[in-house]
Amino acid sequence: MQLKTRKILDRSFSWTGAIAIFLMTAALVILLAPMLARGWGAFHFAATIEHRRMILEQFGRGNRAEIEAERNASRLARAPLYRMIAEFEKQLEDGEEQERKKHAASLRNLKKALRGLLGPEPGAPKPILMRDRYGQTRWDRALVKLQNALHAEEWDYSNPDRGGVKILKKRAAEFAGTSLEPLFAYLEQNTKKMLLPRRTFYWRFLTDVSLDAHFFGGILAEILGTLYLAAGAMLFALPMGVMAAIYLTEYARESRLTGFLRTCINTLAGVPSIVFGLFGLAFFINTLKVSSSKSVLAGALTLALMILPTLIRASEEAIRSVPKTYKEAALSLGAGRGRVIASVILPAALPGILTGTVISMGRAAGETAPIIFTAAVSVGKPLALWQVFSQPTPALSWNIYNLATEHEAADEIRHVQYGLVLTLVALVLILNLAAIIMRARISRRLKG
Amino acid sequence: MKKTRKITATLTMAIMIAGGTAVAKDAHKIVIDGSTTVGPIAKAFAEYYMAKHPEVNITVSESGSGNGAKGIINEACDIGAMSRPMKSSEIEAAKGAGVLPVEHIVAMDGIAVVVHNSNPVADLSVAQIKDIYTGKIANWKELGGPDLPIVAISRDTNSGTYETFESLVMKREKIAGKTEYVGSNGAIRQRVLSTPGAIGYVGLAFREGVKPVKVNGMEATPETVVAKTYPIARPLYMYTAGRPRPETPLSEFIDLANTPDGKKIIEDTGFVPLK
Amino acid sequence: MQTNNQMPGMKAHTASLLLSNRAQRQQRLMTVLGKSFLLAVTSLSMLAVLFIFIFIARDAWPFFRHESLREFFTSVRWYPSANEPEFGALAILYGSAMVTLGAGAVAVPLGIAAAVCISDVMPFSLRQTLKPVMEMLAAIPSVAYGFFALVVLAPLLQQKGGQLLAAAAWIIGLPVAALTTIVMSDVLSERICEKYRTAARWTVAIVAGGGTLTGLAIIANALNALRIVSGTNALNVSIILGIMAIPTIVSVSEDALQAVGRELREGSYALGATRAETILKVVLPAAGSGIMAAVMLGVMRAVGETMVVWMASGNAAQIPRPWYNFMEPVRTLTATIAGDMGEADHVTGSGRYHVLFAMAFCLLVFSFGINLMSERLISRARKRNAA
Repeated sequence: MQLKTRKILDRSFSWTGAIAIFLMTAALVILLAPMLARGWGAFHFAATIEHRRMILEQFGRGNRAEIEAERNASRLARAPLYRMIAEFEKQLEDGEEQERKKHAASLRNLKKALRGLLGPEPGAPKPILMRDRYGQTRWDRALVKLQNALHAEEWDYSNPDRGGVKILKKRAAEFAGTSLEPLFAYLEQNTKKMLLPRRTFYWRFLTDVSLDAHFFGGILAEILGTLYLAAGAMLFALPMGVMAAIYLTEYARESRLTGFLRTCINTLAGVPSIVFGLFGLAFFINTLKVSSSKSVLAGALTLALMILPTLIRASEEAIRSVPKTYKEAALSLGAGRGRVIASVILPAALPGILTGTVISMGRAAGETAPIIFTAAVSVGKPLALWQVFSQPTPALSWNIYNLATEHEAADEIRHVQYGLVLTLVALVLILNLAAIIMRARISRRLKG
Repeated sequence: MKKTRKITATLTMAIMIAGGTAVAKDAHKIVIDGSTTVGPIAKAFAEYYMAKHPEVNITVSESGSGNGAKGIINEACDIGAMSRPMKSSEIEAAKGAGVLPVEHIVAMDGIAVVVHNSNPVADLSVAQIKDIYTGKIANWKELGGPDLPIVAISRDTNSGTYETFESLVMKREKIAGKTEYVGSNGAIRQRVLSTPGAIGYVGLAFREGVKPVKVNGMEATPETVVAKTYPIARPLYMYTAGRPRPETPLSEFIDLANTPDGKKIIEDTGFVPLK
Repeated sequence: MQTNNQMPGMKAHTASLLLSNRAQRQQRLMTVLGKSFLLAVTSLSMLAVLFIFIFIARDAWPFFRHESLREFFTSVRWYPSANEPEFGALAILYGSAMVTLGAGAVAVPLGIAAAVCISDVMPFSLRQTLKPVMEMLAAIPSVAYGFFALVVLAPLLQQKGGQLLAAAAWIIGLPVAALTTIVMSDVLSERICEKYRTAARWTVAIVAGGGTLTGLAIIANALNALRIVSGTNALNVSIILGIMAIPTIVSVSEDALQAVGRELREGSYALGATRAETILKVVLPAAGSGIMAAVMLGVMRAVGETMVVWMASGNAAQIPRPWYNFMEPVRTLTATIAGDMGEADHVTGSGRYHVLFAMAFCLLVFSFGINLMSERLISRARKRNAA
């Protein structure tokens, strides 16, 4: 081969690596971008008067007088709408049977669409389900609902070779020539006045409980559940992990037993997470009966087993990286082995152990499969500390799955799903970031 | 209307005050597990009940009817929500474990067969649906639709809806291997919403936004389900281990289905309340 | 190994300074007790592995005994809920294998290329900034990946899948085609005598270039015309699983590459090899077993992953037709366990319950085997590098 060709090959080889790294980084950005951008929308969005009203009524927050004033303004703006409908209904009542029949269905659909946008009509009995009590709380959703109110969706199936084509038919056309026709122009021009959108930073999303299966409110129960599970897993795994690491580094000689132990730890690290879930169900709940049903405790135990190998390895590495001279100095001063470990080696290894702890905590917080059968439910209250021994809990990871696939109105509450994803990813990444920073400090200290 | 609600509210309050002091410590939690079809009812009931009794924590998981039965048998949950009746094997197992499962019918439901909105096919017979799921009919062209391969979507085998569908539609034949399986009604609805060639089956409450087809010429609506003219309908159940002691939150919760408020909730979530 | 902290010379001193026999014994006992306590705690992880194996095997055993093993491994008919249930898991095993292979096809080339680049090409400072990127990729919870696959990627594939694949084919294919052309023109014209060499080179370049370009265009066109009926399919899952496996592959194979000594590299450079030749012919073979281990560990992650496949693989228990068709939905072992566990109950001990444990057992044995192998490979690599 010619030198030139070889050089080209060499250059392109370097480029392949660079491209691979670029692709990796791009994958990270592409993954995170929608989660961050749309997740942020759960916290910061244009909230309508309905949102402020819901917060006031359900959580008792907000300036009552101000909201009342706003409500009056919005009521005033909505009044002509309902007046027009009432008048039209009256006309139908008095008019001919044929007219009534012609408009009955479209009127019913219109009223339903309006309820979806603005909430129940004034004077109507208070709906039992909370989701029916309020109009749209978010302006972006309100715009979608406004289109629903202005246009009836129809499908044109006239071309049999292709699928149907969506046609948005103006509802105004259905009522052409009647007294209801001006309603649509009015609605379109005055939606803002009816809903009074205002940019709001709803940080309480993190600390509010969910209302009516996540239609409103926040995700406190999920956050608490995840924290309980991760902290509980840590509580069990950390002492075990550190002790095992001490044994493996300080006491164990290279023997067949140690080799076997190491193989076991590696195997444990490789067990698929769903198998941990099955084992947790079969062992902790069905055999040991740590709780009568799914509970935070059972979930935490299962997760503890899962993160144990990571913790052992991290602690082992941390202990090994403590300079030998520390230990020798302490031993030469006459300190016992136990003493050396407790007062010299562990403090020196602590930052490293903490790094491992933080990373495994992130892993425990993010895992879903082990808690499906052991701890997670889709709806529940935030738990108090003493309840964790007997009660199951919602958790961020499980509820992302649950809301994205099982919820009856999954596409109405996309913002909640993205909010959950953002919270979970942020939690895990912050934990990892903390670990990265800690590690940087340690390496600087060891260098210096 | 308003008055009756007030009366029921005061009644439940009175019952609560009378019974509240006497209930055992476990009465402060109700664990519900089971069908995703019954899920919306259970969740709405839980919300409603907890608003009235803040001291009770009700947790709902939607993991399939089978899990509900299992939870009752090994006493892992207080209420097993199911979209099919318990099988004899399950009742046997429960008796073996010293549990007597008691059946409470909470609502009626039809299984709507849904397709993408762009699909012109509007009417299918039970036999045609069966042929779609066995793979005999593989393209919408054969049913008068566009030239588009059919993406058949089914519930996972742990769901009561699946079993009902299997017994009422598939009869003894088996669903083809290429059928996609998803874990819940909501997931089927979403897959159908986003996939032009898809067909799926869901509980009545989940047909919003997608296009339910007529089955044997009957539309899937609460009215046709009540009139029993819609061919794929079934009751929805909640099971308890033994009859719940009266005046406990558990019995109150189960009885919600018979109160006017409970019926309204069932109706509002898209199901058919019992008469 | 020192069992107590007394200085050896102390016996020579007066008895009053010595610890009493009893105290000495007590101390020794304490040390031994402490050590055995630590050993016991460490053995807990062994116990956990043992218990996992026992519990899974115990519930899998009735299946292996009563049901037909042949059916399990050879039939594609998966009807666990029928009156006469059929437990043919071949399609499910195949699905697991398929998405794993797909994930490998995405992750292995990218991961190894990235690892080589990080360890041998990039300056050290850049390497430090890249580490967090990989750690973040590894840290993102699987359910978030699944959510992305279901909510973002699946609709995208359904609407623009063909175009995207065609674009990808062009982007990957063009440089590859250009390189092949250059290399072919060089290699094929080598033997031709000096006089005609340039002419021959150009002829070969034009022919080869034209050929590869046409091939590429045909492939891209075919891809462009592809209509992806369902976005939740093997391809979707493979891409996501591949991304999830990359960090493991990169970090383990980077370690392996670093372990190959400088001397080897310097020797190769001294002989006049370019960097690419050094890496391909010297470093990679030397780090081979470590990289194999990296690939295995990465693949393991794909096999054991649940949420992504459960949410986005379509869960159809079928062998796609044709068998390499990645646009078809598939079902994997993990998703089957997660999805079917609801109906299977341990009280009645139905075949359905045991078959799921049998699947878990397969997963367990598989991961155990892979683990052992990768461990062996890594230790072998360590020994060789130490020698």
